[in-house]
Parts: sequence; structure tokens; C-alpha cells
Amino acid sequence: MDIWGQIISYAYQYFDNAAFLALSAIGLILIYGMMGVINMAHGELMMIGAYTATFAYYAGVPVPIAIIFAGIVTGVVGVIIERLIVRHFYNQLLSSLVVTWGLSLIFTQGMLMIFGPSAKNMPTPFGSFSVGEFSFGIYRMVLFAVALLLIVGLWALFRFSSFGTKAQAAIENPTMAQALGIDTRRIYTLTFGLGSAMGGIAGAMFAMTAAVSPFFGQAYTPLAFITVVIAGGANVIAGLVYAVAYLAGIQTLTVNVFNQYIGYISIMAAAFVALLVMPTGISGFVERRRVRAMQR
Amino acid sequence: MKHLNIASLKSGYGSVRIINDFSMTVDRGEIVAVIGRNGVGKTTLMKTIIGNIRTSGGTIEFMSRDITPLSPPVRARLGIGYVPQGRGIFSKLTVEGNLMLGMGVGNSREANLDRAFEFFPVLKKRLSQAAGSMSGGEQQQLAIARILVGAPQIMLLDEPSEGIQPNIVQEIGSTIRRLRREENLTIIIVEQNLNLIQAVADRCIVMDRGAAVATLKPSDLDDPEVSQRYLAIG
Repeated sequence: MDIWGQIISYAYQYFDNAAFLALSAIGLILIYGMMGVINMAHGELMMIGAYTATFAYYAGVPVPIAIIFAGIVTGVVGVIIERLIVRHFYNQLLSSLVVTWGLSLIFTQGMLMIFGPSAKNMPTPFGSFSVGEFSFGIYRMVLFAVALLLIVGLWALFRFSSFGTKAQAAIENPTMAQALGIDTRRIYTLTFGLGSAMGGIAGAMFAMTAAVSPFFGQAYTPLAFITVVIAGGANVIAGLVYAVAYLAGIQTLTVNVFNQYIGYISIMAAAFVALLVMPTGISGFVERRRVRAMQR
Repeated sequence: MKHLNIASLKSGYGSVRIINDFSMTVDRGEIVAVIGRNGVGKTTLMKTIIGNIRTSGGTIEFMSRDITPLSPPVRARLGIGYVPQGRGIFSKLTVEGNLMLGMGVGNSREANLDRAFEFFPVLKKRLSQAAGSMSGGEQQQLAIARILVGAPQIMLLDEPSEGIQPNIVQEIGSTIRRLRREENLTIIIVEQNLNLIQAVADRCIVMDRGAAVATLKPSDLDDPEVSQRYLAIG
């Protein structure tokens, strides 16, 4: 029985780590893959999602609706900052980094001024189950399921909707897309809003596992950033899945062999190695192999 | 009626002016070939008409409306269809996906799709194929079909013969004539291929250093001296 408990414990940790990375990174990589902008304020959008969900929850809104509401509010905030600021920095990686970093400072300090250093915490729902001497929180598995749902949803949106077709056209050749009557600016705005909304949903989900404060986002930004860089922008969804599977594996392994701290450092090391071998990220690497195979 | 009226047009890349005082008028249903040696600004002219390159002077009037300040998507929705050099196919999308994009201009109905398949039946069998995996000739057909599904008023064709087998070029030539005959489509075609020009054009505008310098009848190009002077050769 203990063996089973151990195996389930490893699997549980793997899925927990994967959910953490995937939820933190999904909105960020969507925006990076489409517009070549790494949104340094993504963590702060997650923070806004967390606050929104917390306020809604204590106002008596049921948890699932509070989460969706957080997504909507954050999406609208995303649309506004895209229209006002980010729009002018597309495909300028460095400038966009600086500008969105500035935004993240404004959001953090602004929240600190308005709401103070901490907010009420939301309780973690669902309780836990145990196998042998191991005990597992059910909510962590819900996080994984939501991460999976968002990934599949994003894939379906790109694969089947007319918005997805237009968005793919706008990535591949924006000038041609415009010449066909597609308003690429509108596509970019909607995409930025969608990426922000996904960050907001992730923030709302994490609000039930962590303390909500103006600095909430800083716990997620570094790992989300690493996941996106390793995934690469060539194929957003596949890249995200590869990067999450890889990093969660490394993290689970090193945390169990060593400790939490080494686990965190080993993700950085794993990212470093991956980028040495695949400078354009995993998706860029796979894409090139595929093109080469097609040409043969 | 003047369908397209370009007056003293100026445009270019940054401070480099490519189109310099270009003027021409095109009637509805006319097929005009723009010819000239490499680098005289033919492709830049096409990009300026669709709006991908901004105009720095002069005006473009389309159906008696000044479209100079309008963005490319708005121009496309007014009925200007652009088939660029190199075809501009979205290679990762399917044939169907590419056609759907062409239908986004607003005048589009399913009937237009059927009409496009009448002109290019091969596409109907390839709907779910990745567009990038088709041959050059098929991609050219897709690029034209993608415009047709939007029911344009005018079509800009930039070197449709480039990199395509001679028998397919002939086919494209007869399609272009049929499009004018059956759809009363106005067509501006940039071409280097003498046979194609002579097969389709009503008249040829000769470009040099960004301006229209002469108008020729297609038969004038029979004279080797004339065609040597105005086409890419040399």
C-alpha cells in the first residue's frame, strides 16, 4: 500500500507542478506567440484576478462564478492597457519588456496604496483524500483539470473558430491579412484581452491556495517567463505542453531527490540547458524538424 | 466610368521614394498590364494601391471615392482584391482556411465560393490540405480564388506567372479573360511574361523610375526592340 501511496504522491506532485506552470504561463505565451511581446505585467494581471475573485467571493458570489468574473474583469483591463500602451510596442521585445515592467510596478504599488499590504484569504475548497500515509488536496487536481481545459479550449478556438483562422493569418503574414480585409489591430486587442483573461482566471484559481497581496504575481512571473521562453513562439499550444511536461518532470524529480529549493534552481538550470540545445524554444525546434522532414 | 483613378501618386519605404508622380486611370472591366524593368516600382505601386505602403503624396480614387487615407482592410472591403507577388498564401492554414479569410470582406456569400470552384475546380478537392504543401500553380489559383470569394470590383495581380509552369500560365491567362468577361472584373496585372501580357491585356502602362512613362498596345510588344526596352530582360 505504501508503494502505491508513493507512486500516487509522485504523480500528484507532477500534475501539481504542471498545473502551476501551465496556468501561470498560458496567457503569457498566447500574447508572446501572437504579438512578440513578453508581458511583464502578467503576474499583476493574475493579481488583479485574485483580488477580483476574493472580493466577489466575500460579497457572496459562488466560487466558479467568482473565477469567471475575475477572468472577465482582467480581460477588460488587458484590452484597456493594450489599446493605450502595449499596441505601440509590438514586435519590439526589449521596449515592450521595459514598458510592461513599468506597468507591473504601477499595478503593484497602486494596489498597495488602495487596498494595503494584504487581503482576506479565500479558503481552499474540496478538502483532501489519503492513500496510505499520504494525503492529497483535491483542489490541486482541480487546478490541473482547469489548466487542461484552458489548453484544450485555446486549441479548439484556434482550430475551429473564424477568430482563430484570422489570428493565425495575422501571425503568419499580417500585411497579407490586412489586404484581405482583416483588422489585425482588432485581432491583437482581442488576443491580448484573452491572454489577460486567462491570467485572471489563473490568479483567481491560485487565490485559493496562496495569500493574496499586491505582490501576489511575483510568485508566478519567473516560472511563467521561463516556461514561455522554453516553449518558444513557433507553436503556442504545443510549445506550452512540451515545456510544461519537461519542466514539471525536472522539478518533481529534483524536489524529491533533494529539496524544494534545489527543485526551484534546477528549473533554471533545465531552462538554460534547453535553450543551449534549442535556442528558439522547443516549439521552434520541433517546427524546424517537421519542415525538414516535409522537404525530404 | 473611371473605375480607378490614380493621380500624381508618391510613395516608398521610409525616406526612399519609389513611386514618383505616377498617374493612370483604369475603366471598369478593363485589363491593364503594368510593365517595366526590374526595380522601377511595379510591386510598390500595387502595395500602395491596396494600402500596405502609405501614400506620401497624390491621390487614389476608387469608384469616385478618395481612398488614399483608408487602411488596407477598409480598401479590401470596398472591393479591391490583392494577389501579391509570391502569392501570399497562409501556408499553415488549410485551403479552406485561406478561402474563409477571403470571405471576411463582407460581400461574401456561399454562392461566391461555388463560383470560385467553377473557376478552380482543383481547390474543391483539396479543401482540407495544408495550403503550403500545394504546388506553385495551385497556390496561385488559391490566391485568386481567395479574392474571388470576396466578390471584388477590381483585382490587383502581381506577377501571377512567376515560378509557374508554362501550361499553367496559359490556364491562368484564360481564367483572367473569363473573369473579365463573366464578372466584369477590372484587372491590373504586373507581369514580365510577354505571352501572358499579350494574351490578356487591353493596354500596357510602361513604368520607369516610379512614373508612368508610356502607354502601349500589347501588339507593340511584338517588336523585339520595344519588348527588350520595357521588359525585365537585360
